[in-house]
Amino acid sequence: MNITKMEKYADEARKQEAELIIFPELSLTGYTLKDKVYELAETIPGPSTEKIARIAKENNLYIIFGAPELSEKAQAILYNTAVLVGPEGYIGKYRKMHLPNHSVFEEKRYFRPGYKTGVYKTRLGRIGLIICYDIFFPEITRLIRLEGADFTVCISASPSTRRSFFEILTAARAIENTMFLAYVNLVGIEEGLQFWGGSRLIAPNGNVIAKAPYYEESLTLGEIDYNEIRASEISAQMLKDLRPEIFLKLKEKSVEF
Amino acid sequence: MLRLAPHVLELDWADVESRIKHFIKNYVEKAEADGIVLGLSGGIDSSTVAALSALAIGGNKVLGLIMPEKETYNQEDIEDAKNVAEKYGIKTKIIDITAIIETIQKTIPEFDPNEKISKGNIKARTRMICLYYYANKHNLIVCGSSDKSEAMMGYFTKWGDVAADIAPIMDLYKTQVRKLAQYVGLPQRVINKPATPALWPGQKAEDELGLKYETLDLILYGLEHFMEIDEIANQLGIDKAVVQKVSSRLERMEHKRRMPITIKLQYRTIGMDFKLPQSI
Repeated sequence: MNITKMEKYADEARKQEAELIIFPELSLTGYTLKDKVYELAETIPGPSTEKIARIAKENNLYIIFGAPELSEKAQAILYNTAVLVGPEGYIGKYRKMHLPNHSVFEEKRYFRPGYKTGVYKTRLGRIGLIICYDIFFPEITRLIRLEGADFTVCISASPSTRRSFFEILTAARAIENTMFLAYVNLVGIEEGLQFWGGSRLIAPNGNVIAKAPYYEESLTLGEIDYNEIRASEISAQMLKDLRPEIFLKLKEKSVEF
Repeated sequence: MLRLAPHVLELDWADVESRIKHFIKNYVEKAEADGIVLGLSGGIDSSTVAALSALAIGGNKVLGLIMPEKETYNQEDIEDAKNVAEKYGIKTKIIDITAIIETIQKTIPEFDPNEKISKGNIKARTRMICLYYYANKHNLIVCGSSDKSEAMMGYFTKWGDVAADIAPIMDLYKTQVRKLAQYVGLPQRVINKPATPALWPGQKAEDELGLKYETLDLILYGLEHFMEIDEIANQLGIDKAVVQKVSSRLERMEHKRRMPITIKLQYRTIGMDFKLPQSI
């Protein structure tokens, strides 16, 4: 488990007066687990969540991290999950809805897809959680925006061949929903896959307001002023202009495809 | 529609160099190895991985074994290997493997000096033995030099020259290795040299494969990208049968790229569904 490392970074974040620290997808255990995921998955809440929640309390921080989740109702049914804890303890989770199973990915082999979005109201605002491949599906970020989130957090484990997609799509999701978006990505090399880092905080107008280095471990700070959303909403009115009947058509056409 | 032209093989060479170096350094560190050992033939592939290894972890941590043998002895290749080693600060050892090969030949009952392939493979496997001796003795990582064209065509000796712990250029086609070598700054002599595994005198890769790498690499690129054989042939202006032959060979050589296959008898089977992460 990477709890010791997470604790070290939480401590550092606190020293830099951060209020929220975000770790990448499956950061608790690492991404390329293959069959070992069965040993490492825990219920959420569960032992590791408790430990991270304690770290959150000690540092007066909100923490978002990724972990393989074991279903409470089964013995080996797993989810790829993003967890939100805060000084008050466990707040909530989001089970990844879109699981990639192509190219080098085999998430459908190990994980059951989620069926619910994860939008949580906190002292830091209304935060919506998505994970990695979810960014390729505008509909889920649109949905969490309509559920009231002002800030999307996308945790990720993206290998470098996908970098150019993510750099475009993360900005697109922020712009089309006039919301803040934090993208936090893994670094390191696992099984010949090089995770590209490049985490970023994006403003509602698509500007990258904070950016982490590529390929190296780092702690990068960014600041959100939710008031910026107001100006963006006035000059780019997608939330007013979107057409609900198109969503009905989308449902029909995606089923009959 | 995917267009098969030389430009599709262009990559950001600075980025490729950086990422391969990072890969090599990261692996040696994770393996807690004291360095790298590799075979230096004076050819483009081994020269390129030698240079990248030295740039990644320091030439003083790279050991290059130059392993000539009587039948295919080429003084110029040895000089090229030594020059590359010197340029990158790599230590070398010259091991003439002729005696080893001759002993094997004398010892094997019914050894046939006229059967080229089985005789030639002994050389590749002997070099593998030497590399792994040094790797075991000095806690070194064996760095292989197979490239993507060779790997896809199975143009290597099974458990011979392909045997290694890491293969940093295995995702680059031969013509891409040449471009990378150019970018890194390897000697032009080495870059222009015709590729050969040197298992018998006069052996040339392009003669055996029946195609120049400039053409083969584009065919392979097309096959990599799921293009139809007809389409590849049309775009390159070559005979469909030529492309078909490459495609068939690609598939036929899968056995060379894997652990030995078995018959599934139990719950989790090695090589099939017993999937563990490789921690180094």
